[in-house]
Amino acid sequence: MFAYTLTRLVYLALVLAVMSVLIFLVTQAMPGDVASMIAGQFASKEVVDAIAVKLGLDQPLIVQYGHWAAGILRGDLGRSLVLEQPIGPILMEALARSLVLAVVALFVVAVVGIGLGVLAAVRRGKLTDQLVSGVSYLGIAVPDFFWAIVLVLVFGSYMKLLPTGGYAPIADGFLPWASHLVLPVVTLVLMLLARIARLTRSSMIDVLQTNYVKFARAKGMPESVVILRHALKNALLPTITVLAIDFGLILGGVVVIETIFSYPGMGRLLLFAIQRHDLPLIQATILIVSAAYCLANLTADLLYAFVNPKIRHGMRAS
Amino acid sequence: MTDVTPVQSVPRRHLPSLPVSLLVGIVLLAPLVVAAVAGSWIAPYPYDEMNIMSRLQPPGAEFWFGTDEFGRDVFSRTLVGTGSSLVMGVAATALSLLAGVPLGLIAGYKGGRAGEAIMRAMDVLMSFPPILLGILVLAVTPPAQWKAIVAIGIVYVPQVVRLTRAITLELMQEEFITAARLRGESAAYILFHEILPNIWPPLVVEASLRVVFAILLGASLSFIGMGAQPPSSDWGLMISEARPFVEQAPWIALCPGFALATAVIGINLLGDGLRALLDPRNTGAH
Amino acid sequence: MMMRRLVARAVLSAILLSGTAMSVQAAGTLKVSVDSNLNTLDPAKMKGGQEYVAAYLIFNGLTVIGHDMTVKPDLAERWERSDDLKTWTFRLRKGVKFHNGRELDAEDVVATIARIQDKATGSTARVNFEIVDSMKALDPLTVQFQLKSPYAGFAELFGERQARIVPRDAVDTLASKPVGTGPFEFVSFAPGDRIVLKRNANYFEPGLPKLDEVIVRILPESAAQVAALTTGELDLVWNLPLEAIDKVKGDPKLKIDSVPTSTWDGVIMNNTVKPFDDPRVRKAVAMALDKQAITQIALFGNGTPTHSPIPPSHPYYNKDLKIAKGDPAGAKKLLAEAGYPNGFEVTLHTPAGRATRERLGLAVRELLKPAGITVNVQRVPFDVFLKDIEGKAGFYIDGFFSRPTIDTSVYPWYHSRGSWNTALWSYSNPKMDTLLDGARQAKSEDEAKALYTQVQALAVEDSPGVIPYVINHINGLSAKVHGFHSHPMMFLDLRDVSVD
Repeated sequence: MFAYTLTRLVYLALVLAVMSVLIFLVTQAMPGDVASMIAGQFASKEVVDAIAVKLGLDQPLIVQYGHWAAGILRGDLGRSLVLEQPIGPILMEALARSLVLAVVALFVVAVVGIGLGVLAAVRRGKLTDQLVSGVSYLGIAVPDFFWAIVLVLVFGSYMKLLPTGGYAPIADGFLPWASHLVLPVVTLVLMLLARIARLTRSSMIDVLQTNYVKFARAKGMPESVVILRHALKNALLPTITVLAIDFGLILGGVVVIETIFSYPGMGRLLLFAIQRHDLPLIQATILIVSAAYCLANLTADLLYAFVNPKIRHGMRAS
Repeated sequence: MTDVTPVQSVPRRHLPSLPVSLLVGIVLLAPLVVAAVAGSWIAPYPYDEMNIMSRLQPPGAEFWFGTDEFGRDVFSRTLVGTGSSLVMGVAATALSLLAGVPLGLIAGYKGGRAGEAIMRAMDVLMSFPPILLGILVLAVTPPAQWKAIVAIGIVYVPQVVRLTRAITLELMQEEFITAARLRGESAAYILFHEILPNIWPPLVVEASLRVVFAILLGASLSFIGMGAQPPSSDWGLMISEARPFVEQAPWIALCPGFALATAVIGINLLGDGLRALLDPRNTGAH
Repeated sequence: MMMRRLVARAVLSAILLSGTAMSVQAAGTLKVSVDSNLNTLDPAKMKGGQEYVAAYLIFNGLTVIGHDMTVKPDLAERWERSDDLKTWTFRLRKGVKFHNGRELDAEDVVATIARIQDKATGSTARVNFEIVDSMKALDPLTVQFQLKSPYAGFAELFGERQARIVPRDAVDTLASKPVGTGPFEFVSFAPGDRIVLKRNANYFEPGLPKLDEVIVRILPESAAQVAALTTGELDLVWNLPLEAIDKVKGDPKLKIDSVPTSTWDGVIMNNTVKPFDDPRVRKAVAMALDKQAITQIALFGNGTPTHSPIPPSHPYYNKDLKIAKGDPAGAKKLLAEAGYPNGFEVTLHTPAGRATRERLGLAVRELLKPAGITVNVQRVPFDVFLKDIEGKAGFYIDGFFSRPTIDTSVYPWYHSRGSWNTALWSYSNPKMDTLLDGARQAKSEDEAKALYTQVQALAVEDSPGVIPYVINHINGLSAKVHGFHSHPMMFLDLRDVSVD
């Protein structure tokens, strides 16, 4: 297991290195270069050139990449051209806010999704099961941004229960902070709930049919103990690995969610950087989000390998 | 990030694969296909006809689903937008198949360095969160719908490559391939005459599910301004443009939203039905 | 003459201000939203309205454009100009301190303007100061400018958004840690989220500002802005979106405050392209357009009909001219005289995504119908519009933001060598040129006013294009907010504001 983990980590580092080259090359190809963006619409070539020299944009690509990559290895993500600030602190602050969204959403998905899944499995074929399936389909049939709009409409505009946008630092108090998270989190949850619920349901059904559970029942244990202590423990393993993958999906999904809820996280920072052609900021943001995504995927793989040695050895063979 | 696990493949939006699912899917999709093909002819108004005197009208006899801030008929716009939204998903999927199937065949059949190189390149592509890869591709140039299609196509190439490779590897064990090899058939002959005809059923199933993701990703890109451009009535764009008016005139956003939901559910059911029909191996598995 | 009056005005305002100072206590925190992220807090590099909001809270200029659109003393308490309008001397207020505690002096002014003139800074205000030949600090409180050519509006240029006076020893960190002399001191900036400012206890206007703290929230979604205003999470929504006005009006706890700006949209007719090369055709178009109705359609009534970019709120506005009410019959007659008895058909291009301009295009289509002109509206994506339509097509809708001075708002569009005139409609009338050149060298406000009154009359007579309205700048605010007045340049002036 240790050797496997190590191999995967080394491989991850290689993938990230290639990604960094790709990100750098693609963003360098952007039209409407940064210098002319900064200089404005009516600037003369002279002005643009002066700014380009100041920013080091006149150096060969490979030199620019070298500077950039070396900086990242030192933990220096560069300076935002537009904001004229070091990227590190801005990015980390935005990442932290996005992670809060992602972690809370993941937690809610896990609790509610597993709960619904167990309920559906126990009541298999009955009305509850049908209802759970029906409701969870609703979540995936419509894109997240549409749910977001419906939620804004219902809870913000009509009922005036919750803030429909923005962010309150925790220093303002727990309630303001938490209330700003509710709608974006619910949107993310709707997007992911169905899969977790269905997965839990099907693995629960499999486990409930095993001899192990039948034996527990035969021993006369109460049904609730059988389900919660014996069956659920075994049924949860695949669910957990999927949750790790979902974490990566949430990180991607926040771009849209944050736009709708004016939430100052990574997603909006990225769109801001793209609109303003802030190359270093675009590069750093995409790299960091992708790295987080890779780590989440790796965690999922490791978890799966950990609970399922068959797969681990099978993988080795290929 | 290697082809390890069943859960590793991108989440599928499963629907129960009842025998009727194919039928229901077709029933749901048929009107959408008609709208996509003939939307501009059957729409009661041109999709971009503005009538300032009747703006933000609620649904009624004259405008079935109301009008938007320019007095454009929401029903006609949704109808005409079907083409844009569905084409985006179908074309992007077709692109990823066009690029992914040959690469997957090479990786599976030839293996070796070329195969390894292909698979590692796919690993890198898969290491980006899907929408970010789309944004990265689109950020390069001013947005346009065809660019969004290419971007989505690229996003889903790795999945197609992996699936094709896996099935090819499986087929390579079969006797008829071994026989063909022993007969001294060329690689091209084996690939096109022996392998390709046998891998299309699972690919069709895969593609039908992929279309759903492509449609949703396309709508998301249009929503954040990187896909279809105004005055197009692409559903994602329509919903995005309706945001400022969502309280006064919710019908502008709801109508394309329901259309999108119908398409997603319809295609999901169709995909499940196709799986039951073409790829019986998988039916019990989920 | 002029100078004496300015001094009197400055003294008077100082007395008035110190009078109110007695009763004033610092009053609370104001939470205000802007609709898009700020790129920079360095005034020289600013380009957007939401950035100017910060600029006016943190910094001052030598002069300021007042609520009545005329120039007022700010950091300069008075100024003199030579008779040839080429030498300008500004006298600074004494004892003004930057937020870092250092006293402002004339070298800061020179350094600020030199920085704007430096091409590497990339300031959009650079062209304004190309007219400066040389400048120097005569003593710590006096700065003198030599101009390359006479320019009566020079003092106004210091009211321009980018020309905020900055401390010469802290320019490198302005973008993220701005230091100014303004009523509020910078505390923190979280990009995409908020800017926090606190009261400048040493502000030079006694007793001001009244607020302890200002929080500028960045909230791009209009629905979220209004929802936050309704729930009390915000006290003020700067530049309230038009579609949200009814909602705010309907809430008894909220109110609307608005003012005409000199930001305008226009119906552009290329004076060199048929049929608009005939002044009678242009006149007919202008005649047929009911400006009041257009304002209703395009702006939901939140604008003010005008003759030219000079807004009705400005002292130079020509009140004797009548606003066109829409006379399709008269327009038809003129068209017949011009050789179009049955009217004609024409394509009108509008930029997609610019809502007010799109609606203006639709209004033009409806209103020209009865005059016999069939208009086909064609929407084009904005980048295509800039590349292929603006300055090239014959008939389209365009729009421009307000400029700091009347000269910069009018000259470029109406003088035969004006930059926007040659780009947009190629209008040329020697009489107009004489009026505009004369106004640039006017020795008194009365003289300038007389000339600009004639400019507006001629603009309506010749109708090179139609400017139907100036857009109102609208703020939505809570009834708890007192002392707020919307500024015609869209600046956020919070000096007198307090919150219950």
